[in-house]
Amino acid sequence: MVFNSLPFTVFFLVFFVLYWLVFQRNLKAQNLLILTGSYFFYAWWDWRFLSLLIGVSVLNYLLGIYIPKAGSDAKRRLLLYIGLIQGIGGLVFFKYFNFFITSFVDAFQTININLDYHTLKIILPLGISFYTFRTMSYLLDVNKGKIEPTTDWIVFFSYVSFFPSLISGPIDRGTLLIPQLEKRREFKYDQAVDGFRQILWGLFKKIVVADNCAIYTNQVFDNFDTMPASSLVLGLFLYTIQIYADFSGYSDMAIGFARLIGFNITKNFDFPFFSQNIAEFWQRWHISLTSWMTEYVFTPLSIHFRDYGNRGLIIAIMINFFIIGIWHGANWTFVLFGLLHGSYYIPLILQGKIFKKKKSLKGKLIPSFVEFRNMVGVFLLAMIGFVIFRSDNISNAFEFYKNIFSLSLFSMPQFEGRMGVLITMIFIVVMMVIEWFGKSHEYAIAGIGTSLSKTVRWSFYYLMIIIVFFFSATGKEFIYFQF
Amino acid sequence: MDKAEILSQLQEIFRDTLDDQEVTLAYETTANDVEGWDSLTHIHLVVSIEKHFKLRFTAKEIQSWKNIGELVEGIISKK
Repeated sequence: MVFNSLPFTVFFLVFFVLYWLVFQRNLKAQNLLILTGSYFFYAWWDWRFLSLLIGVSVLNYLLGIYIPKAGSDAKRRLLLYIGLIQGIGGLVFFKYFNFFITSFVDAFQTININLDYHTLKIILPLGISFYTFRTMSYLLDVNKGKIEPTTDWIVFFSYVSFFPSLISGPIDRGTLLIPQLEKRREFKYDQAVDGFRQILWGLFKKIVVADNCAIYTNQVFDNFDTMPASSLVLGLFLYTIQIYADFSGYSDMAIGFARLIGFNITKNFDFPFFSQNIAEFWQRWHISLTSWMTEYVFTPLSIHFRDYGNRGLIIAIMINFFIIGIWHGANWTFVLFGLLHGSYYIPLILQGKIFKKKKSLKGKLIPSFVEFRNMVGVFLLAMIGFVIFRSDNISNAFEFYKNIFSLSLFSMPQFEGRMGVLITMIFIVVMMVIEWFGKSHEYAIAGIGTSLSKTVRWSFYYLMIIIVFFFSATGKEFIYFQF
Repeated sequence: MDKAEILSQLQEIFRDTLDDQEVTLAYETTANDVEGWDSLTHIHLVVSIEKHFKLRFTAKEIQSWKNIGELVEGIISKK
């Protein structure tokens, strides 16, 4: 039940009506509805995973209550370690089992959703990586005294399984979400409109930009050994855009749905392609994961290694990115992807640039030449990394790199359906331009609500809706199957 | 050394480390109030503070201060 599907639309409509019209007066009932809805949403993918989700919730709920009550430090640590071992152990155990992958693929196919296999591979571990990261940060925060453990099991279970962000992000912290679950939510018209607006933008990015890119990137990565180098470069460019539009679009939808039911959840992308260096890129890309890693992995490590100066920092950053890499799945490609990004930091650390104040491009309309060059540089570094990320194995990735450096780099790129590539490129430009002008807002079109007149605003929404309906990739794929 | 003295020395350390002469510290100042004071520069600052005051914090202490006032208290308790 992905967001852009009929089953989810029906589910959410029913949920929305019950939530605001029937259970609105009673906080407990409303939370129980969130929990039931989340479990229903989860079970729709595969009910077998539901027992695991519930089991993890029970264990961590109890550990959260007992950690502060533990009599001695040793006992306290033991309880914390039980939780962490469960979390890390669960990830290690499940991610290596192919059975899980295939059952998820089957789950998709039984409801007639054929997501391409690669996207699926990314989404797949996310469900578990996701709530595991939630429960682990919760226990660590309780242990540090950053948050009072909740004694309301419905609140805690809803926190672990909150459906808008359950499958693909953002990773919410207990410090952010639990207080919101404990308080009454009021329906606010402006908030709801804002939610819809963000969903619309997410839909555009996901099903117009990303899914259209997917048609060509799949061609390129499936046939990279026979295609000319120019096609590989264009395909790689499209893939870099695709993964951004796909993931940030999905996050926008998740945040939008959460807003529709009165919640503010974690921002996940902050226009990463407008960054000035790779460190800034990672502060703006998949923020909920990187900030989690910074707080619970990188900071403790860098404190530990602080006497070793730059060397200590490099070790800390490499370990941090090794984990970020392998978090994506049990494949060496992801490990190498992480290490490559870690190594991107080394020149910054050695030059001391990482400590200098960065000038934000937020309010700037036209970047200077140097700023523009830096943005292009960050984009190229990201492109290089995504070859490894997208390849099935490391030797394919190196083969891909090798094939780029050939004379065919100067030939016309070849694709099936050149017109389609052109239209996709136009959508990419539209997306990037709108994002550039909207970069000081929460999401690209957030400012539209205040800056444009009603007529212009609604014309824009209708235009977007029309584009989403007419240029969504499923229609496209159908056309190309004819050839 | 009294609290005000420590505060003014801290301000110097912050200005040097963050390479920003406009940093002004008060007891209530938090990381959100100082541009460029993030998780990375925090470690850098801690190392400079430890060197300057010739003391050593534990990992737990380094992650526990909520504002400059608590940091000042932390320094006094180690002196």
